[in-house]
This record gives sequence, C-alpha cells and structure tokens, in this order.
Amino acid sequence: MTLDPQLILDSLPLIAQGLGITLKLLLYSALFGIGLAIITLVMRISGRWYLSWPAQVYIYFFRGTPILVQIFIIYYGLPQFGFIRGSILWPILREPFACCVIALGLNSGAYVSEILRGGVLGVDKGLTEAGKALGLSSPQRFIYITAPIAIRLSLPAYSNEFISTLKATALASTVTLMDVTGVARTLVSQTYAPYEIFIAAAILYLAFAWISYVALAWLEARASRYVKKGN
Amino acid sequence: MSGAQPVIVLDKVCKNFGAFRALINVSLSVSKGEKLVVCGPSGSGKSTMIRCINRLEEHDGGHIIVNGHELTKDSRNIDAVRREVGMVFQNFNLFPHLTVIKNLMLAPRLVRHKNKDEARAVAMKYLERVRIPNQADKYPSQLSGGQQQRVAIARALCMNPEIMLFDEPTSALDPEMIAEVLDVMTDLARDGMTMVCVTHEMGFARSVADKIVFMDAGEIVEAATPEAFFTKPQTERARQFLSQILAH
Amino acid sequence: MADLAAWGDDYLLGTLVVLKVFVVALIMAVIFGLIGAAARLSRNRIVSGLAKIYVVAFRGAPEIIILLIFYFGIAVSLTALVQYFDPATKFVDIPPFWAGSAAIGLIVGAYMTETFRGAFLGVDHGQVESAYALGLSKFQTFFHVRVPQMWRLALPNFGNHMLSIMKDTALISVIGLEEITFVAQMATSVTRQPFTMYMTVALIYLAITTLITFGVAALEKYANRHLRGAR
Ligand SMILES: Nc1ncnc2c1ncn2[C@@H]1O[C@H](COP(=O)(O)OP(=O)(O)OP(=O)(O)O)[C@@H](O)[C@H]1O
Ligand SMILES: [Mg+2]
Repeated sequence: MTLDPQLILDSLPLIAQGLGITLKLLLYSALFGIGLAIITLVMRISGRWYLSWPAQVYIYFFRGTPILVQIFIIYYGLPQFGFIRGSILWPILREPFACCVIALGLNSGAYVSEILRGGVLGVDKGLTEAGKALGLSSPQRFIYITAPIAIRLSLPAYSNEFISTLKATALASTVTLMDVTGVARTLVSQTYAPYEIFIAAAILYLAFAWISYVALAWLEARASRYVKKGN
Repeated sequence: MSGAQPVIVLDKVCKNFGAFRALINVSLSVSKGEKLVVCGPSGSGKSTMIRCINRLEEHDGGHIIVNGHELTKDSRNIDAVRREVGMVFQNFNLFPHLTVIKNLMLAPRLVRHKNKDEARAVAMKYLERVRIPNQADKYPSQLSGGQQQRVAIARALCMNPEIMLFDEPTSALDPEMIAEVLDVMTDLARDGMTMVCVTHEMGFARSVADKIVFMDAGEIVEAATPEAFFTKPQTERARQFLSQILAH
Repeated sequence: MADLAAWGDDYLLGTLVVLKVFVVALIMAVIFGLIGAAARLSRNRIVSGLAKIYVVAFRGAPEIIILLIFYFGIAVSLTALVQYFDPATKFVDIPPFWAGSAAIGLIVGAYMTETFRGAFLGVDHGQVESAYALGLSKFQTFFHVRVPQMWRLALPNFGNHMLSIMKDTALISVIGLEEITFVAQMATSVTRQPFTMYMTVALIYLAITTLITFGVAALEKYANRHLRGAR
C-alpha cells in the first residue's frame, strides 16, 4: 500500500463541494438543538411533574440511543404512518435534509439541556438568594442572574457537544445527502482510493472542529472576563 | 425602645429541617430604629431566624409580621417585605457577572422600575456613602473582601430599605478589613436604620446594639441590653459562650 | 406485531453481535487508552506528541469516516498485499466485525487516553509523597495508592465512554455487519414497517445503555464508599 499525498490534495476541492451541506446541517441542527434545550431545561426545572416528566423521557431516549437509529426512525420510520404522509409537515418530513436537521437537533437538544442544567446547578445558591432578598421575581432572577452565569459555566461542555454535532452530520450521508462524507463516499466508489479520499474528508472535519473549538474558546474567554485570574 | 411601634414581630416561630428543630418557639420584636444583635454558638439557628424574616426560609409555625405584612404563602406580602428589607450575607453574594455599579442598579431598575439615570445616580450616592465611588466599573472579583462587603451593603441600600438584616457580615473577612465594614454599619446605625445583625463582633454590639439576643439550640436563651448581657449574663450557656468569644 | 415477532430471532442474533462488538471494542479501547495515556505522560516529546496527534485526530474526525477508512482502506491494502504474492486474487474481504470493533476501539481509546491521563494527574501528589515517606516502593505506591484513587476519578467518564461504544456499534451496519440496525433494514424491506423495526432497534439500545448506566452507578457508589457521610 502507498498513500498518495497528491491524491489527497486533489480530492480536497472535490470533497469541499459537500461542505455547504455539512455546514448548513451543523448550523440548523445546532440552533434547533439550543432552542429545544432551553425549552426542555425550563420544563425540567419547572417543578411540575407533567412538564418535567416528558422532558426527562425525551432526554433519556435521545441520549440512550444511537444517532444513526434516530435518523432512520425519522426519515424511514415516520412515513409508515398514513397521517404523517397526509399532514402538512409531509413536504418537510419527506426531505432527507430536514429529517437530518430534526434528528440531529433533537439529539443535540437532549445533551445541551443536560449541559445547561449542569450550569444552572453550578450557580451559587447564595446569588439567587441575594436576588430574592433584593425583591427580584423568580423569572427576573433566572434571566438576570442564573442564566448568564449558567451559560458561562456551560460553554466548555457545549464546545465538545458542538463538535459532536459536527461529527454527527457525517451520518447524513446514510440517507443519501451529499455532504462532505456523502461526496467522499461517492468519490471512493468511483476511484477506489479510500485512504486518500476519506483522509482528505477527515482533514476537512478536523479543520472545522478546530475552528469551532477556537471560536468557542474565544467566546468562553470573553464570557469569563469577570472571573478572577488564577483563582 | 419600648412604646415605639414594632416593625418586626416574631411570635412563637418554629422551623424544622426534616426531623431537626432549627427554631423552637422564637419570639421577638424589633421597633423602628432599633438595633438588634443576635449571637450564639454555631448551629444555634441564628441564620435560620434572620432568613425567616425575609422568607429565604419558610417558617413552619408561629407568625412573622414585618412592617405590617404577615409572612404567609401569599406572594404579594413576600414581595412587599423583600422590597422593604435589605439583607447582607456572610459571603457577599455579589453578582459576579455584573460590574459594581450594575450590581447596584439591577434591583432598582427591575423592581422599582427606575430608569437608568435615576438608578445610576442612586447607586453612586450609596457607593460614596460606603466610600468606594472609584470602584464602580470593576467586577466584584477585582475587589478586596472588605470592599465587596461594602458594595453588598450599598446594593441593599439602593432599594431604600426600612430594615437591614446582616448575617455575619464580617466573619469571612480578614481582620484588617473588618473595621472598614463595621464603620459603614455604625454610620448606618447612627442614621437611624432599623437593623438586625448576626455578629460576634462584641465591640460593635456593645457600642451600637440596643438589645442583644443570645440563641442556643434553636431557642432564644437570653435577651438583654448589651451592658446587662456582657456584665451579668443570666444563664450558664451565655456565660460559657461569652468566655469563649472574649477569650479570642 | 406479528411481523415483528417473525424477526425476533434475527433481532436476538443481532443483539448478540452488538454485545460482542461492544466487548471487543471496549477491551481495545482500554488498551489503547492505557497506552495512549502512558505515551501522553511520557517525558519523550516525540512519544507524547504522537499520542496527542492520535487523540486529536480520533476525537475530531467523524466516527463513520474512521470506520470507512478502516474497512475499505484495510481491504484495499490487504488486497494489494495478497496480490503481490498471488496475482490471481481479486479482492480480500475484511470481516466487518473486526474492522468495526477496531475502529470503535481506536476512537474511544482516544477519549480514554484523556480520561486515564486526567485521572493519573488528578491524584494528589501529596498522596504519592506520603506513600514514599512511609517507605512504599514505586511499584507499591502505584498499585496501592495511585490506582485505587485513579479508578474512582476515571469512572464517571469511563461510563460515558462505554455508552459511546455501545451507541457507535450501530455504525457498523453501514459496512454490512448483521447487527440489529442491519436486521431492521432487512426487515423493513420485507414488512414495510420501518417505524416498528427501527423503534425496536432503539428500544434494544435503550435497554442496554440503561443497564450500563446502572452498572456504572453501582460501581461509582462502591468506589466512593469511603466518602459516604463526609460532606
Ligand atoms: N437547609 C438546611 N437543611 C437542613 N438543615 C439545615 C439547613 N439549614 C440549616 N440547617 C441546620 O439548622 C441548624 C441551624 O443552622 P443555622 O445556619 O441557622 O445556624 P447558625 O446559628 O447560623 O450557625 P453559624 O454560626 O455556623 O452560621 C444547624 O444545625 C444546621 O445544620
Ligand atoms: Mg449562620
């Protein structure tokens, strides 16, 4: 076996054609996931069983099963039901792209809501008490005190989760999407040079993971301006 | 003190944590302008008692009436009491993500619906009063402990409270910073603020307090003027406590 | 339901395959993790640099890409190798079981590397010093003082890595191993009940991940037994 570095370089621009779909998948799923995570978090900490139970079941299911299976359930599975095929959502649920965004978003939402919950639990209880003593209402305490601190505490874990979502977008290729992995798989079946092409794809993902990591680390540094250094 | 209108009344207040009885039939009244110092050994229920006054803890029995509002489940009364009662904590509890001035402006803006300029003006006034107007734009973590506690006092004052509660405000501070905080508290006392202070600073208690309450095991064991309490404590428990405290 | 029952045996066999992959990949991951951690902690710059590259690459690239590199890449290399000796050979097939287990083992091994390293560094140096001061040998110190504390520190992450391995097993269906996701694909094409079939897969995974979670929780309780009562 010989690895052909030239082939890796040559295939980079070809594979990069899939970058648009990969990034769109990532962006939409991440945003959808954050939205779901916030709703789920609020449900979980609401203290009302009929809200916190469904939230917990959702988290339990999506954290306990493989993303690939989640994608298959949504893309292949849902059309089993006539009412879904008849519903107004059908034009969306028929699209592999939309199904992937839904699956990845649901998956990431479950993890992110747990991350955020960890952040909320990490906020010193004394601070909310100080808010109470000052007469702030419970929503005011959450918005002005708990949330900003919880978000900062959650950022490092979120950074990992974001990169996980990036990696999970590669599964979209299993439902015919031409993302980076999809393009790479097609190229491999044409050229039969799996090492070079998949390595080129891996390099693209690594580069993007690195960019995400740096960007989120910068964000975290900014959010932590007020934290005493070396303490 | 007697004869003046009581602004805080605790009547046979009980509080349990599970099976543990943290407060047992605590009765006490504080009149307007009065300065009450609460002392007692660790775990005796001092914090629990003072935290019941603005309902950071819910009492299980008895009645608490603050400024004419009885504390019940009724959230309107709780809101009213919290607006009129300021509190200072042992570990400051400043909001770490807000600068000093924003710590001071937050509640006036959200609770009193002041506009930005009004809130800022009030905040600056109290920062001057606690003698740190030049730290307004720093974050709490950039201040010394004594400065942080003075900011916390200013933050409570910005709400224009009629009553101030202090829960061991100096016990997390280095000795050299204790004086600067006690000075601010003494000023406040001189201006006529109604104060309830949990503290073991006996010098402060002697010079400022109108009444001292000694708690042990969830009960008020003694309530007396400072002279009476320090010179001839009535109970063995108080005598023991005093000899320990003063030995240090 | 009758359709599902007809596929019961296949699901059972598929579950066994999943469990086998899990065990093999877990053993590999632990081995790679230990080697990786030792290398990361090594004073030799080249060794620790290589380990670092291993960690970054295998944690940053999508699992499916690594799996495809393993499966197709090794197949191509082996074919080339065999053809060198026996030009008549057309193609050497790699058993997907081994390609998949090895890929997952390497991926999760990269995560384990960081976990083991963190646990090693997490043991207070004072502990080691006091062991030396008591006259314990290096060897005794390692096994009687360091390891017992390390494994308590590593357990929570280790549990998460086990869950990752379990969920990653679903990916191997992509290279044709007959585990449960693959069974569901087969069953779907016959019964036209994709939702039922994939949901069954999800529930099987959920059952296994739940068991793992409980197992790890029990182990953690055991590992932290001496901390009980302390506050
Ligand atoms: N949230 C709680 N849950 C259970 N027990 C509690 C709780 N808060 C306080 N207690 C118990 O109630 C008792 C009184 O506590 P409290 O904090 O009022 O004591 P304290 O007099 O303020 O002591 P210190 O001087 O140490 O601050 C203690 O025994 C404490 O363990
Ligand atoms: Mg206390």
